[in-house]
Amino acid sequence: MTFRLLSAAVLAGAMVLPAHAAEPMNDLEIAHTAYTAGQLDIRYAHLALAVSENADVRSFAETMIRDHSAVNSAAVDLITELNVTPQDNDLSRALVQGAADKRAELMGLSGSAFDCAYAQNELGYHQVVNKTVEDSFIPAVTVAPLKELLTDALATFKVHEGHAEQMVSNLQCS
Amino acid sequence: MQLTRRRLISAGGLAAAAAALPAAAAPAVRVRIRKFAFDPDTVSIKAGERIEWVNEDFAPHTATEADHSWDTGEMGKGGTASVLFETPGTHSYYCVYHPHMKARIVVTA
Ligand SMILES: [Cu+2]
Repeated sequence: MTFRLLSAAVLAGAMVLPAHAAEPMNDLEIAHTAYTAGQLDIRYAHLALAVSENADVRSFAETMIRDHSAVNSAAVDLITELNVTPQDNDLSRALVQGAADKRAELMGLSGSAFDCAYAQNELGYHQVVNKTVEDSFIPAVTVAPLKELLTDALATFKVHEGHAEQMVSNLQCS
Repeated sequence: MQLTRRRLISAGGLAAAAAALPAAAAPAVRVRIRKFAFDPDTVSIKAGERIEWVNEDFAPHTATEADHSWDTGEMGKGGTASVLFETPGTHSYYCVYHPHMKARIVVTA
């Protein structure tokens, strides 16, 4: 129930997510999924840098790598400090699978077809992840420093969402 | 890629490198960078004063003159950088990583 939104939206973005049970995620699962979402965006960005020749797309991808690396390194610091281990879970696994499928699709594209597909995926991905972090993860998390980290991370991801929206509109994709 | 671009920026900002020398004199006027904004977004200083930026976000930022004549380079979380402004004038600057982040410095005589 809690993650129905993410599942539905990711499905709409042509990724496949299994239906989720009603069980709420615990702090360690949320930490795992938030970290995974960042790592996946970094992987998309590396693909964009390998394929795209568009300066705006490349600069966006560089920013994704820089910002998500910074947030995730703060997450690692926090996890180390709390001496806990994030837990893999269905949602993380579904995100990983969905992103693998999307990367396979993107790898078949080049030029403006790639740029548009990458940009649109970045927009959709950030929208879905942000909504999940804001509506589900932040309210559910019980450990204060993790809540704080997610709140700061969300501020970053929202900027990315706006930036992605701008990029999609500048690319004038049909 | 990132390195190349940053090198270009610093090459374009040789004057900035000179101006970015630490000045011992007046205490710097502080501009906070938080939630992807420069705060305050307009600062007035006197010629000979310094601005010091402090980044409070996780995301790395820069403060870079619109014409790239000076550039703080990357500031990570908790990172600071300062630039000395010796001559009167108005500077528009932004973050090269997040170009919607814009602000102004007014240097008076
Ligand atoms: Cu920035």
